[in-house]
Amino acid sequence: MKYVCLVYLVERDMSAMTRKEADACVEESLAYDDDLRKAGHFLVAHALQPVEAATTIRVRSGKLFTTDGPFAETKEQLGGFILIEARDLNEAIQVAAKIPMARHGSIEVRPIREIRAPMGRSMR
Amino acid sequence: MKFMFMIYHDENELRALPEREMQTLVDSALDYDDEIRRSGHYIVSDALQPAHTARTIRVRGGKVSTTDGPFAETKEQLGGFFLIEAKDMNEACAVASRFPPARIGIIEVRPVRELKHS
Repeated sequence: MKYVCLVYLVERDMSAMTRKEADACVEESLAYDDDLRKAGHFLVAHALQPVEAATTIRVRSGKLFTTDGPFAETKEQLGGFILIEARDLNEAIQVAAKIPMARHGSIEVRPIREIRAPMGRSMR
Repeated sequence: MKFMFMIYHDENELRALPEREMQTLVDSALDYDDEIRRSGHYIVSDALQPAHTARTIRVRGGKVSTTDGPFAETKEQLGGFFLIEAKDMNEACAVASRFPPARIGIIEVRPVRELKHS
């Protein structure tokens, strides 16, 4: 089964890190991606730019509305995600608990809803 | 450049849709997937199971704590995501605005940060 690990962080805390600390976080995260690749759990992972780089979009009655900034103004923000393959939720939680950023923020683990399979479409 | 689309919607509103309308929405979303594959924007996308199926994890002082449910209890919940390739933010937003469920939900478009070894 596929699970997404959503990494929530306080951006202010992250930007308050020294260059050395921030570099160490990046190295640790990249190393964990490699561990997950070797273990066969890794599908795709990305860090996101800060929320101020976001644009939020709504389409109502055929009209497009865009606003600068994220959808939700929250203390902790989505900072990245890891899409993994795991046997079940317990295994997914074990994988998530070892994400280096779990020590700084929160990881939400959510199962993927397969909507393509019956129609013979597959993920590239 | 890579961009992530985060699709937020009110799960109660979706559940209240008649089955036929829901199927039309799913079909239109799958057609959209195909369309942005052909246009070369598509990298990966997935729909998520409802927020109540989530588990949230924190590690503090070496101890793992898990709670049931999503990280944030909000009216609108993350229901899916797309990872796409686009020239710039304008192109990414133009692609996002064509996603059929944008009519009932909200899409946050955010550029990806490429992590590089120091």
